[in-house]
Amino acid sequence: MRRVVVTGMGALSPVGSDPGTLFANLMAGRSGIRRLTTSFIDQRDSQLAATVEGFDPLVHFPKIKANSLDRATQFALVASQQAVADAGLDLQHENRERIGVSLGTGMGGATTIEESYLRLCRDPASRPKPFTLLMAMNNAAGSQIGLDFGLTGPCMTHCNACASSAIAIGEAARLIRHGYADAMLAGGTEALLTYSTIRAWEVLRTLAIEDPEDPSASCKPFSADRTGLVLGEGAAMLVLEDYELARARGARIHAEIIGYGGSNDSAHITAPSVEGQARAMQLALNDADIPAGEIDYINAHGTGTKLNDAIETAAIKRVCGTGIPVSSTKSMHGHLVGASGAMEFVACLMALREQSLPPTAHLKQPDPECDLDYVPNIGRRDVNIRTIMSNSFAFGGSSGVLIARKI
Amino acid sequence: MDTFETLRAIISDKFGMDAAEITPDTLLDTLGVDSLHAFDIIFEAEEKYGIRLSLGTDSPKTIQDFVNLIDEARAGQGR
Repeated sequence: MRRVVVTGMGALSPVGSDPGTLFANLMAGRSGIRRLTTSFIDQRDSQLAATVEGFDPLVHFPKIKANSLDRATQFALVASQQAVADAGLDLQHENRERIGVSLGTGMGGATTIEESYLRLCRDPASRPKPFTLLMAMNNAAGSQIGLDFGLTGPCMTHCNACASSAIAIGEAARLIRHGYADAMLAGGTEALLTYSTIRAWEVLRTLAIEDPEDPSASCKPFSADRTGLVLGEGAAMLVLEDYELARARGARIHAEIIGYGGSNDSAHITAPSVEGQARAMQLALNDADIPAGEIDYINAHGTGTKLNDAIETAAIKRVCGTGIPVSSTKSMHGHLVGASGAMEFVACLMALREQSLPPTAHLKQPDPECDLDYVPNIGRRDVNIRTIMSNSFAFGGSSGVLIARKI
Repeated sequence: MDTFETLRAIISDKFGMDAAEITPDTLLDTLGVDSLHAFDIIFEAEEKYGIRLSLGTDSPKTIQDFVNLIDEARAGQGR
């Protein structure tokens, strides 16, 4: 079987518009969570989100094109451009029949769908705009990446809520490993900060209550005073390649993807299960063929909800014991849903490169149910890490766990 | 504004281009207008004038072709 490596990274996040800035801000404990200032804000209880501030699509695309792409697709294309540039891939000279796309998204073109419904509800005699369907469909971003880069290999969209992009990366790695593609653009995108979407999360009582002293500190994973998650937006994309081909072209290799575990709880549509999460982690370790003791850092799913963080802690303890540093960077970049797995995997790859562990921010009150080393509040530099695990668990019960190793 | 000027405003806004670059003889191809973008322009014109355009078999090739289509539809509605 072929080995699969990451040669390119791109990220457009609430705490930085490239992987380096993202990681520098995570290490500094800077949060991108803020109070929303959109016009509908006074109608909602929750006013928090982690937005990609100041994103201007016209900087990246001609106007005619920008207007025919949903915000989620715009994010995905910008992150893909970064990843391809970072990989130093000259696609004009590559066999693009052997390069594909694997993209995760939770809600696809949520903005477009909402705008269309608003238009129709306000004036039933009106019609959706001609590009509505093509902007809203869940495979829009993946297809557009294929179009823009001329990639004619497999093009897949994985829609598994919060595990979408971890699964997208894992499945892309398998395609290369088993010879169905030589390289893949893989990752995730999400732009779901619309009125109805935020309210829909809100009524499930999953969203964090605003910290009265500091709204940016409202997401507190693993802390006893945690009250929930904060939704975010953004995209993270990777270039995955067959190891031998990457080496032959002299590519810089960020890390090797050595393990992927995908599973489904099939227990409850929202409640996480220790068994399901533990199984996904164990499957990833089995895939990597390494013992848990070789993992040096775990980037947790760590949403900041009462239930997830306690369950995930129990699952990590069951599979990996208590000695591995674990952190949740969602405390700063928020929960990017379909893009979260890819964004956190980028954070892990940066951790390997920088030999630094990003902290769990805003962890001030110990919780007896959350008793691991969560790298609280202050990142650690000059560590010696070689192998990381990144956890993603979804509403619906899907899990995606990735393991990468520095080579 | 006459039909040409209205259409020119729609297209220059959509493409983010200088209206002066668009003349009645401008070919849609040279603006990068494919069939989907043509639907988009037709849609805007239909909304603007409250008409429905019938494209038939000859799709518009120049801006003037578009203007003629719109004017015919508007004439059919007694403007």
